[in-house]
Amino acid sequence: MLNTLKMSFKIDTAYATNSFIYTLKKLPILKDILSDDLYSSTSLKNFIRVLGIILTSAKLILYRLLYFFIIYMIAFRIGRENLALIYAHIYVVFALIGLIINTNLLSATKKKYFSIILFQMDAKKYLCTDFVWGLILSFILNVIGFSTINYSLNIPVLLILGLSLFSSCTKIVGEAISIWFYRKKKYLLTTRYKVTFTYIAIMLVVSCLPLIEICLTKQVFIIGLILLLFLAVISVFYIRNVNDYKLIYKKLITEKLVMNEKNSEAYTRQAMVAIKDKDKQIDNKKLIGKKGYDLFNTIFFERHKEILYRSAKTFSLISAIVIVILIFLVLDINDFAFEINNILCTQIGWFVFIMYFINRGAIITQAMFYNCDHAMLTYNFYREPKILLNLFKKRLITIVKVNLMPAIIIAIGMIILLYFSGGTLIINYITIPLFIILLSIFFSVHYLVIYYLLQPFNKSLEMKKASYSLVSGLTYFISYTFSDLTIPSLYFSIGGLVFTILYIIIALFLIYKFAPKTFKINN
Amino acid sequence: MIYLILQIENLSKSYGDKEVLKDINFSFESGKIYGLIGRNGVGKTTFFNSLNSDIDIDSGKFRLIDDNTNIELTTSDIGYVVSEPIVPEFLTAKEFLQFFIDINKDKITEEKTLNEYFEIVKISEEDQNKLLRDYSHGMKNKMQILINIIAKPKVILLDEPLTSLDIVVQDEMKKLFKSLKKDHIIIFSTHILELAMDLCDEIVILNNKELELIEKNNLNTKKYKDKIINSLKEQNNA
Repeated sequence: MLNTLKMSFKIDTAYATNSFIYTLKKLPILKDILSDDLYSSTSLKNFIRVLGIILTSAKLILYRLLYFFIIYMIAFRIGRENLALIYAHIYVVFALIGLIINTNLLSATKKKYFSIILFQMDAKKYLCTDFVWGLILSFILNVIGFSTINYSLNIPVLLILGLSLFSSCTKIVGEAISIWFYRKKKYLLTTRYKVTFTYIAIMLVVSCLPLIEICLTKQVFIIGLILLLFLAVISVFYIRNVNDYKLIYKKLITEKLVMNEKNSEAYTRQAMVAIKDKDKQIDNKKLIGKKGYDLFNTIFFERHKEILYRSAKTFSLISAIVIVILIFLVLDINDFAFEINNILCTQIGWFVFIMYFINRGAIITQAMFYNCDHAMLTYNFYREPKILLNLFKKRLITIVKVNLMPAIIIAIGMIILLYFSGGTLIINYITIPLFIILLSIFFSVHYLVIYYLLQPFNKSLEMKKASYSLVSGLTYFISYTFSDLTIPSLYFSIGGLVFTILYIIIALFLIYKFAPKTFKINN
Repeated sequence: MIYLILQIENLSKSYGDKEVLKDINFSFESGKIYGLIGRNGVGKTTFFNSLNSDIDIDSGKFRLIDDNTNIELTTSDIGYVVSEPIVPEFLTAKEFLQFFIDINKDKITEEKTLNEYFEIVKISEEDQNKLLRDYSHGMKNKMQILINIIAKPKVILLDEPLTSLDIVVQDEMKKLFKSLKKDHIIIFSTHILELAMDLCDEIVILNNKELELIEKNNLNTKKYKDKIINSLKEQNNA
């Protein structure tokens, strides 16, 4: 076991060290200085290895402290009296949630693929060693976590040991259940989302029981711990007796398509934008009289109706329902009407965030790339400026139309709400809804423009450009910042209108000037 | 030289209602390279995955028979070279090989030096210290082939292993496979008929959910080729 652990560490550290050197070599000045020989330089690698161990340990401790702190904050919110007891209650319930969802032995990770399949390590030995090491590490981290949090909790040492033991036992029992379930049913328990979510929901309710002054008692905890210890002993025997880990793992990995090196993020993206069965047949009437790129564009949007229009319709419906509820509340409760009027007249910044949130631009551009452009961009004719800009125009119009659906409903809803909640200046009835409409157009333009100017994806839909992530992050940050702004809506909407119109004009100019050069596949 | 037989008994595999492999009974022998040919989507990869225990099969047994023993085939008897090579990208080729040898010391009968191993697949000293991430598809493939032959598995499954390699490397690899065949059972899946005919001693087609050996008898190359293509067309019409 010790040899397996040593070898596993060796591979891990070599992998991490090389990744670090690789990142260094990508940096502007360093990339000219550093050569490939670095990968064989032992002294530098030793230094990075030590640094890596320190950083990884620090990261693990920080994450665990964060976990303890979150439980502390929840416990603090629930009740300041009996804080230690409430903390223990939540800790135990969270450990029980982890019993089902936090299983690791059968997770098909790349690291395990390398170790079990490529390096042909003994699967049972490797997985059990990895598991035991995980348990020891988790126990140590729990002790560190409790020692830190105990400055303000004063949990008795015996209880700390009990809680740490409880947590370790849940891990052992959880792994045994997950293996037993997979061998019996041939699928992982956690992939049955209904069962998992119901379990989590029930446990979350149980975790909140201290709110109605029902809390874990000492007796219940001791009985639970003894029972869990007993189950853990049985589980250890079970885990040790299973001999077909390699076969289980091979099947899991084949199922998960890790063999195709599809990283999960890109894989999720592809699944998100995959054409739905419903849209595979197109109504021919919609194509009559259309040709060339007009036809091309129509086919594309018809094939993506489910992805594009369904979410726009859902958002429209949700917006309409919320508005109707708000209208009733405004008509019924005077204080509420005052509050709503105040928000609409002084905190319209909120709507920047709402319009950002409901805009479908990001997902549409991903669908465009994965289902169309990543193939078409390999043809030179597709990248001719005239064709590119023509298609951009057609796409922009369609995206604006899709996003306007919920925007118009929100705009109309605002007029009604403004009127029934106490009214406002006449000009506000025009500028505020207009601002909402323009915001929708702004985000539609924004996503399409950054897609054309910073096209971030490679063939597998992996994000390859930091600049795109940066702009997307900034968009979120700025939109969110506006939500806290208190400023008369008249000024805000007029300012917003001017900015939005200017932005759209500049963005379109940039597209015409640069897109033929920037719109290409990243390698 | 050890004479080996891989015996497949009653192999069946379906995906839902779609039957892909139907009650296959077939024997592969060492000393020969078998070219496995079939049309797209016919189930060649499913066949390999079944042998390699990567998927659950509906029924069937795989036996490995030599002069003295008749045992069930296990995954450690198989070296599977997949068409899309997967390598730990942030290890150098040298580290990858060293770790592999350290881990599999017990299984390797004639241990060589790292350079001797690299020489088998003609990877230069300069390239040995490069990250596998920076390797081309063909170079990654070479590493994958090397790793799969070091531990001397009895059965070697090759799924389109030469397609991405340049002509010189293809030639080197062909020679390598030919040198390995005396002690191994080699099954080579490909879409390129000329390659199969050039490299393989026997052509097996996956036809109507079954494996069928296409006997060469005394046919010349052209007639043999026509016979294979006609068999594959029959499948389409079946």
